[in-house]
Amino acid sequence: MNEIIQHIHWINHGVALGYLIACYLFFFSLAEGTHIVSHLSWLYYRQDNYRPLEKVGSFLPFIILCFVSLFLIADLGHPERAMTMAYHWNWTAPVAYGVYVVLLCIISYAFHSYYLFLPEMIVTARGGKGFSSLYRLLAGAMEAGSTEDIRQRHHSKERFWANASVTMSVVGLIYLGFMLSSFKGRVAWNSAVMIFIFISQGLSTGAAFLILFSQIKNVIGNPSEKDIRDQETYLSGLSRFLKYAILVQAIVWGVYLLQLRYVGQGGQAMIHLLFSGPRSNQFWLLQVTVGLALPFVLSFFKAGRKSPILRLIAAIAAILGSFFGIINLFIGGQMLPMTSHQWEKVPSDPEKVLFGAIVTAVILVIFLISYKMLPYENIQSEEA
Amino acid sequence: MAHPEIQVSRRQFLGKVGISAAALGAASILIQADRTAGAATPGMKKFAMVIDTNRCICCHGCTIACLSENNVPDGYYRSWVKKISKGRFPNTSFHFLPRLCNHCEDAPCLNLCPTGATYRTKDDGVVHVNRDICVGCHVCIDACPYGARFFNPMTHTADKCDFCYHRITQGMEPACVTACTGRARIFGDLNDPKSEIVKYLNIHSTQTIRADLDTHPKVHYVMADEAILGADYSALI
Repeated sequence: MNEIIQHIHWINHGVALGYLIACYLFFFSLAEGTHIVSHLSWLYYRQDNYRPLEKVGSFLPFIILCFVSLFLIADLGHPERAMTMAYHWNWTAPVAYGVYVVLLCIISYAFHSYYLFLPEMIVTARGGKGFSSLYRLLAGAMEAGSTEDIRQRHHSKERFWANASVTMSVVGLIYLGFMLSSFKGRVAWNSAVMIFIFISQGLSTGAAFLILFSQIKNVIGNPSEKDIRDQETYLSGLSRFLKYAILVQAIVWGVYLLQLRYVGQGGQAMIHLLFSGPRSNQFWLLQVTVGLALPFVLSFFKAGRKSPILRLIAAIAAILGSFFGIINLFIGGQMLPMTSHQWEKVPSDPEKVLFGAIVTAVILVIFLISYKMLPYENIQSEEA
Repeated sequence: MAHPEIQVSRRQFLGKVGISAAALGAASILIQADRTAGAATPGMKKFAMVIDTNRCICCHGCTIACLSENNVPDGYYRSWVKKISKGRFPNTSFHFLPRLCNHCEDAPCLNLCPTGATYRTKDDGVVHVNRDICVGCHVCIDACPYGARFFNPMTHTADKCDFCYHRITQGMEPACVTACTGRARIFGDLNDPKSEIVKYLNIHSTQTIRADLDTHPKVHYVMADEAILGADYSALI
């Protein structure tokens, strides 16, 4: 087997699923992770002061999921047939389940967000302040009582949708890993570790996303000094969670690479691709150094967790690292050749990349507008 | 502020876990049953191909015949020939491997197609793409471990070899078989004991590509060199 082999004629197949789908996987895991972290943190703290952060963790993932579905549609050969998957359904295909998983996630996030915002919207609308006509339209009937009374009245519904949305978020992360692992011809994906990779990446990006966008909310929105002081406690708590989530992510990636080492030549080729091959820069510089080492160091010490600037840097670095982690896994996994001796080439799709950038920019703009328009902050003190 | 806790008894919890496990088990059984139903029915035809690599002279006649017969766009192939040289001068040898869709009995592309556009005709076990349902999601292209599929830029759907179905249903042979100058390709019905392919298989030992994946390919190779059968990862590491 050690003879010299020269390839004279072969076919390169290229990378079939490109950057747009990789971005879809990243945003999907980010949205699910953000929702899980925000809700689990609420379960941990159980204080109403935490509610503004929970609103960020429910409404922003809802917006993300609504828009990133466009990434999938744009990548189809026949975008007009996108909904064929919903009714002409092949139930042995994990990809087909995604239609319902995404749809149920969007619905449950929408209802959860609605019940979270409802008391503040009703009370503000009654007072005729701010965007009262919009709130009146969204809230429907103008109920009597304070925000606390209204929240108590809708408590069971809010908790129901919270439970449904968290369950769907977990299902979503499992779905992502399960979907990739079902490609049995792909050495890099055909592994049970995929599920844990997406869960760990989802949790770390979720914590980072909450830190980042809660801090942006506090700058753009109009929280009181007390609200900011309260939220600082939770944000430094989230920073501590980020530290552990990154550690778990590093361990899961370690297990994944170790497993690749022992699955034959294909697995070793994948390790080579990441360590010293065409994706080594993205792996060592962006995924490991920026995405794992930097945020871990910054959130390791108490001073780093308390400082808003360092916390912000750690959050951005963790999100960037996770993004390149998924790109390396998804695109790198397809770069392993199936019948030839060369890395498969990634097609440059400038139109699709531009489309992805525009949709991402629209999502960001909606986030920022929502900070001005929706009642994220608690208003009990104003009512008193 | 205290919130009312939702109490779940141990009995309720175990009940829910039991129901979930039962649903999961039932789903797994149904998926397996569905896969079995998708395979060719016994007693019907089971089209397959044997390629004797000793007879292949790498003339690319099959490639050209396929392109012409199926109107395949430029730069894409339903059938092609991989060619390598092995060894160091003067001890060198050339090896050729004609390639096409393997029409696997447990086809990953068929299992992973989200709309069911990839299907198998139950009369003969040939794997097809229904262009009217295919959404062009590229999943099957990624799922095929043999690189046998491509995205057709004319139809915007997945495309691949279908054993020239329009010909074989009329009693003819696929275009690549007819055009093969060395008569390296033998096509026929595996369920017909009198067919040439069955007689050939009875007296030759054969190989399939990536047998480790358990996809049961229906394209068999005779005397293919091990070095050409799979991807050459050693060239990458």
